[in-house]
Amino acid sequence: MSEAPDLSEDEALAAEHALGVLNARDRAAAELRMASEPAFAADVEAWRARLAPMLESVAAVPAPEGVWQRIERMLPANDNGAIMNKLRFWRNSAVGGFALAAASLAGVMVQVNQPPVVVERQVPVSPQGQLLSASVTTGEGSRIQPLFTAAYDPDRKALIVTSLLPEGSERDKVHELWLIAGQDNPKSLGLVESGKAKVIALPTELMAKMAEGATLAVSLEAPGGSKNPNGPTGPVIGAGKLSKL
Amino acid sequence: MAAAATTTDILTPLMARIAAGEREALRQLYQATSAKLFGVCLRILSDREESEDVLQDVYVTIWRRADRFDGARASVMTWVSTIARNRAIDRLRARGPMAYAEQVDDMEIADGQDSAETLLSAADDRNRLHGCMSELDDRTQKVIRTAFFEGVTYEALAKSMDAPLGTVKSWIRRGLAKLKGCLQS
Repeated sequence: MSEAPDLSEDEALAAEHALGVLNARDRAAAELRMASEPAFAADVEAWRARLAPMLESVAAVPAPEGVWQRIERMLPANDNGAIMNKLRFWRNSAVGGFALAAASLAGVMVQVNQPPVVVERQVPVSPQGQLLSASVTTGEGSRIQPLFTAAYDPDRKALIVTSLLPEGSERDKVHELWLIAGQDNPKSLGLVESGKAKVIALPTELMAKMAEGATLAVSLEAPGGSKNPNGPTGPVIGAGKLSKL
Repeated sequence: MAAAATTTDILTPLMARIAAGEREALRQLYQATSAKLFGVCLRILSDREESEDVLQDVYVTIWRRADRFDGARASVMTWVSTIARNRAIDRLRARGPMAYAEQVDDMEIADGQDSAETLLSAADDRNRLHGCMSELDDRTQKVIRTAFFEGVTYEALAKSMDAPLGTVKSWIRRGLAKLKGCLQS
């Protein structure tokens, strides 16, 4: 093997942390650095990925019966922490490579004639308001594609919406977001640009309707949005229900 | 590598669904990966009961952290295997320092017997790492593998090999630098 240059002190530490040779104190210090220094965290991750193939030589052993059932019981109902984490994920995945872009657009073309999802049950109004999120998707079964993700934060009195479509993908159309709660007509929440995140401030009247089970839907409209104040003019391309975060 | 590519395709979209809180997606990931991860836990812990506990913990961790998965950095299998390895090593360390300080001579590495049932997508990566590891001198290979599979610290390695701490550290650092150089070439 040709002589390799020494690792920089930082990278050596990242490699040692990934390998696991640091003692408890140095390990804790490395964890702290990972939390505050993205470049260091990336070095550790890169080293973990470099070393992980060693695990591939380990033989698979079927897990004992019943483990899955126990895991399922341990899953917290509300899992993924802060809203922004969730949004960050969707943003990353939109950019980072689930081939969402092309697939979602294909989905849009296929789904344009789908009727909007109608919510039949009466939606209870929650007194305090709680964190809710929805993934607005298109397609069915294994072909579900997320188009938008939304998180409702009662403290901020706002809905944070993130488009997962590539920037500029709507061309001469715009995406309009709708809230469909109970038997009411859909309420427009405004336009959402492709590839962008938007914080939509909600009036009290709309906040009262933000509840688990209410539906968010997205329609494809001419620039300026739907001419009809009581619902989409263009086709609804995706929908998703709000659920507790 | 056609099969490997398919595996990646199947697992990657699951992560988005898991991050969105879909239990069915986690169940599918469990079906596809639990045998491998249980194998990893067993390899490190050599104890079925403890491995079972850790396995549960691993999937709950995956459930909580799926939003941090970045497909551009690692395959799903690499990511979940690393979580399993780290959790198993945490458990090993919790047994106390002496529990793993003596295992240095006993670190044969399992090899072969994977291809058919192994779901790992990166057989290429494994072969490259294997090739690069085999270019290191025996002693360096041994300490790196021991550290990786047993979670042995520098201090414990130095003690069990009866070598100065600084020497062990420089073996490993040189070895890792060579490994990186080899993997990049």
